[in-house]
Amino acid sequence: MKVFFSRFWFGYKEYIIVVLLLVISLSVLSLNSKPGIKKVKAYAFGGFAVCTSGVSKILEPFSTAFEVESLREENARLMLQVNRLREYGLQNEELKKQLALKDSSQYPLVSARVVSKFVSASQGNFIINAGDDRNIKTGMPVINSQGLLGVVTTVSKDYSIVRTLRNRELKFAVKNQRSRFDGVLEWNGKELTIKNVPKTYDMEVGDRIVTSDFSTKFPPSIPVGVVAGGNRDKTGIFNNIVVSPYADFVRVEHVFVIAFVPSVQKNNLELNLIKNN
Amino acid sequence: MRADYLIAILLLIPLTIIQLTVIPLFSYNQIAPDLVLILLVYYTLRMGQMHGTILGFIFGLFFDLVSGGILGSAMFSKTLSGFLAGYFYNENKVELNLHTFMFLFIVLVIGTVDSVTYSFFGSADTSSNMLTLILVQGLFPAMYSSVLSLPMVIFHSRKIFA
Repeated sequence: MKVFFSRFWFGYKEYIIVVLLLVISLSVLSLNSKPGIKKVKAYAFGGFAVCTSGVSKILEPFSTAFEVESLREENARLMLQVNRLREYGLQNEELKKQLALKDSSQYPLVSARVVSKFVSASQGNFIINAGDDRNIKTGMPVINSQGLLGVVTTVSKDYSIVRTLRNRELKFAVKNQRSRFDGVLEWNGKELTIKNVPKTYDMEVGDRIVTSDFSTKFPPSIPVGVVAGGNRDKTGIFNNIVVSPYADFVRVEHVFVIAFVPSVQKNNLELNLIKNN
Repeated sequence: MRADYLIAILLLIPLTIIQLTVIPLFSYNQIAPDLVLILLVYYTLRMGQMHGTILGFIFGLFFDLVSGGILGSAMFSKTLSGFLAGYFYNENKVELNLHTFMFLFIVLVIGTVDSVTYSFFGSADTSSNMLTLILVQGLFPAMYSSVLSLPMVIFHSRKIFA
């Protein structure tokens, strides 16, 4: 028996090892949402981000002087304010009495620097130098002066992982600011698309796309991008709308985390509603 | 052999830092070269299939942990890449594989498999067909990685002819 196993091992050890390691990898894939795994990840990227932070500082041609920081923050605030005013204008025309909209700029902004970027067709993410020590929480939206960048997914003591819009795991409700039609935006590996939009919906190239009031992930009216085009889906009944994001994901260096945590109560209420129906 | 493992793992750390900080500056349309893969192919062609598979697993695990990606996706793709790169290993042709344009070809082939596998695990999109997946998310990044490994081949070939 021992000889048999010994022969088997020497004859097929490469295959045994590869199968074993692939099975371990697949098992780990299924454990991603476990709190223990998340904790290990937080420690690992937090520790390594210290190194990447040093290198990214060297690479940064313009230093993060306080003035520049404060100007960027002001810029981001103004961007949100302008967008809110534009929103109010459009709403005012349609429904004068609905001016009591949720103010998206009421949340405090926490500035942070991107210390590393992971370029991938499907798993785009950043690591930023703001974490638990600055009250960053999982689920907080991340913006820059141009628009929405993503959402915080993992937080360590000093660093956080931001899942960008260019990540297939991130899907959220958006609306066309002009026509008020809602949809779900997602990254398909190549471009940002709003899928399954009925052909009767009024969508034009150049329309501004912002986060929807129905979004459970983001506060409403954060600019996301503009409609860049569209194409019919396979059934021919719906359109897939291509959105060009405002934010430049390649050049982004400084970001702001909006201290907004999605309402658990609201999510639970919506879940109950779905269950009851 | 132990020294080779140690050096490979030590080299992995600076290469991962470069991959996460410098390489994004050279990316185009989400297409970026994979330095970790180049290192993995290099050591697999030096050490053999079994060691390449184990190294692939270690490299993938480390990269998943520090990059913030889905844990297990790079582990799977790099383990598979290490294993497949091992088929190009030949004890008598180590120099030929590492120091000629053959290395670029191996990086291209293994890079395509690696990128496709990695994209597959990071994607829930069933609308893109297999050809698009292989071409856009597999072949292009692999070509970029292959081009980036060119200086290594030139450097080594100069050393041989010097």
